[in-house]
Amino acid sequence: MSLTDLMSMAKPNIEARDKILAKLNGKELVNCFQCIKCTSGCTALKLLELKPHEIIKLVNLGFVDELPSSDIIWTCVTCLKCVQRCPQKASPYHVIIALRNLAVEKEAKVPEGYLKAVSQILETGQVEAYQKIVTRKMETVDRECLKLPKISPPKESFQAVFMKAMEEKTT
Amino acid sequence: MTRTGVYVCHCGLNIAGVVDVEKVADYAKTLPDVVVAKHYTYMCSEPGQHMIQKDIKAKKLDRIVIATCSPRMHEETFRKAVAEAGLNPYLTEIVNLREQVSWAHTHEPEKATEKAKALVRMGVARAQLLEPLEKRRVSVEKSVLVVGGGIAGIQTSLDLANAGFPVYLVEKAPSIGGRMAQLDKTFPTLDCSACILTPKMVDAAKHPNITMITNAEVTDVKGFVGNYEVSILKKPRYVDEKRCVGCELCTQVCPVKVSDTFNENLTEKRAISIYSAHAVPKIAMINPDCCLRLKYDKGVCGKCQDACEAKAINFEQQPETIQVKVGSVVLAVGSGVFNASEMAELGYGRFKNVISNIEFERISDASGPTGGKILSPKDGKTPKTIAFIQCVGSRDKRFHEYCCRVGCMVTLKQAILAREKIRENVRIYVCYIDMRAFGKGYDEFYRRARDMDIDFVAGLPSEIHSSPDGSLYFDVYDKGTNKLLQIRADLVVLGTGLVPNNDLAEISALFHASRGADGFLLEAHPKLKPLESPMAGVFLAGACQGPKDIPDTVAQASGAAAKALDLLSHGEIELEPLKAIVDEDLCSGCKICASICPFVAIEMKTDIVDGEEKTMAEVIEAMCQGCGLCSSACPTGAIRIQQYSNKQVLTEVEAALAVTCAEGGK
Repeated sequence: MSLTDLMSMAKPNIEARDKILAKLNGKELVNCFQCIKCTSGCTALKLLELKPHEIIKLVNLGFVDELPSSDIIWTCVTCLKCVQRCPQKASPYHVIIALRNLAVEKEAKVPEGYLKAVSQILETGQVEAYQKIVTRKMETVDRECLKLPKISPPKESFQAVFMKAMEEKTT
Repeated sequence: MTRTGVYVCHCGLNIAGVVDVEKVADYAKTLPDVVVAKHYTYMCSEPGQHMIQKDIKAKKLDRIVIATCSPRMHEETFRKAVAEAGLNPYLTEIVNLREQVSWAHTHEPEKATEKAKALVRMGVARAQLLEPLEKRRVSVEKSVLVVGGGIAGIQTSLDLANAGFPVYLVEKAPSIGGRMAQLDKTFPTLDCSACILTPKMVDAAKHPNITMITNAEVTDVKGFVGNYEVSILKKPRYVDEKRCVGCELCTQVCPVKVSDTFNENLTEKRAISIYSAHAVPKIAMINPDCCLRLKYDKGVCGKCQDACEAKAINFEQQPETIQVKVGSVVLAVGSGVFNASEMAELGYGRFKNVISNIEFERISDASGPTGGKILSPKDGKTPKTIAFIQCVGSRDKRFHEYCCRVGCMVTLKQAILAREKIRENVRIYVCYIDMRAFGKGYDEFYRRARDMDIDFVAGLPSEIHSSPDGSLYFDVYDKGTNKLLQIRADLVVLGTGLVPNNDLAEISALFHASRGADGFLLEAHPKLKPLESPMAGVFLAGACQGPKDIPDTVAQASGAAAKALDLLSHGEIELEPLKAIVDEDLCSGCKICASICPFVAIEMKTDIVDGEEKTMAEVIEAMCQGCGLCSSACPTGAIRIQQYSNKQVLTEVEAALAVTCAEGGK
């Protein structure tokens, strides 16, 4: 391989890159011409160590070994702004999702929040647990005192379908 | 029995790099009727052609099969060579071993060689049935129709008229000048657009060989190369062109305000108005959709009529159809500008201080809405910060995939103009992807902009926001500094690109000039025939063929004029002899052929046959282009195309199947 990153002496891993590309289902990653719109509009930019346009370029060049195990891929809030605005239909979102799936396959460490969200959905059917809130009059209220209907836990069949879907996605 | 020669071309390594040309030539020798088979590096070169000519004479060949590149490339070359050797040029058959074999099957040389053999076998079989044909000659009408009166149409018309040919210059708007008339300065020299364009407009209007027809549209085109009959609809101005002196007394009294399209709707004008300050012809026109008299009631208003000292106002004026006969057509209908409101995230249309680059041209122009002062349309104040954003609607798969080719230079020019006009009191930012300054003197112009304290940010913003105070702000990540910058600006100028004109589909249908995937008119060959449309006798000039700046447009316009001159200068032209022939015994008069012929080359005639009236198809030879649609549609097989008769095609098919069967038997 003739390409070397002289900062870290890393070499591209074309095989791993192709694996990521294969997960994109025909999304045209290679068309990125680095207009930087994705990074300019990124909601999570300040939290990202790598910028969205850099992730795309790294994948294109094949510097992908570190990516699935890094925290970066989990910081994306999937607001999909980059998908909307990308002029080349090569948005980083699809790459990030592919990298996440690859990370799960590799059994890399998945941030706690994501695991919590999964168990939350399984248990309650909600992405977030419902919480008590404080009103302007500084009263703490919950659903009950607001006379909102009770939320019933999901049926067992939902859990089965959910688990099945998760398994299918990861294989 | 014929005496056939087969010639296999290597095309350097284009063919020989994949196909075993020697094997193909050896195989050809085994085919029936083949007297000689050879291979050579470049068959199209002089020694290659000479080899064929020598064989024709020495070996008394009467059929020539050349296995080479696409017939679009060199069929004409080889026909000429064959004719020079004394053989009818239409006894030549081209077998395409490049586009159809070596380029298509680069990775399978063995199979490619087999396919090449099969194609040669088919070519040889077909060659046996070729007939000698003669080219047809038709006379040419020595005048030209130029559609569109922008700089392209004006340049083409002037070149043709100066060469002594009558030109009909048709313009849709009430004045010629087109897009260039709207521009302030031109890159890279910054000379004033009006100063260099207006004299040409006047020249065109005054030229004795140019008939200028403004406020008009082409409504019908009949005929064929050399002999077009064109109908032009001249819409009423409601002002007598011969009487109006352009004094504008009428516009001072007209009570109806309408938005001024020439100023990109940034200002208003009156229902009766002169198109622009530099309009040619400088004649007023009434907008019939807004004029109280024309729209509502014959009794009302009429103030312009009272004010006009030349008695030029004529509310009764009717549309007029003008018929002209021309030998050739030059399409110079120009382009539109991308409507940036389609790109909602940039706020164009929502925020008044987000403007397009063509609007900036009007604002910067001395004859524009602000008298040439750079003022924001939102508050009429001089902006303290201007941001330019590139590639709006271009290089974008959501809108137009192509590069607009002028946006970068337009922005550089406008940034320089803003700096010159507002001096040091303005910050100027240019957000871009790639700066494309490729033309003569363009990169020097880019340097000039950098010298003028204009900041370039290598990155595009995702969206533009408006603050409560009306100023705009956006975030943009700069590749150069790796910083996320927030730019606050009181004026944002969008680098909107050139797009196909709204009515280009109609024009393309009218002239049978096809369009490409980008929506612009298609040239006959991207490299070797950039000025010709695929329709014989119809040429292209300017931005209707693809986005173009002024130097390229003018160059293409003069080129198109030269092409039209070439056609006209001979007085008559040769047409390909391939045409449809009707077998009158078989024709049932069903009219299917006449209804599908794209060139309107088939008419129905009625003859008395054996005492009975019989309706039959008749091919107008000069109009037939030999496309073959009629032949495939004819239910009785009465129409055939010369050189492509059923027998000829089926013989080829049989030859194709011959070995497949033999191989199957092995």
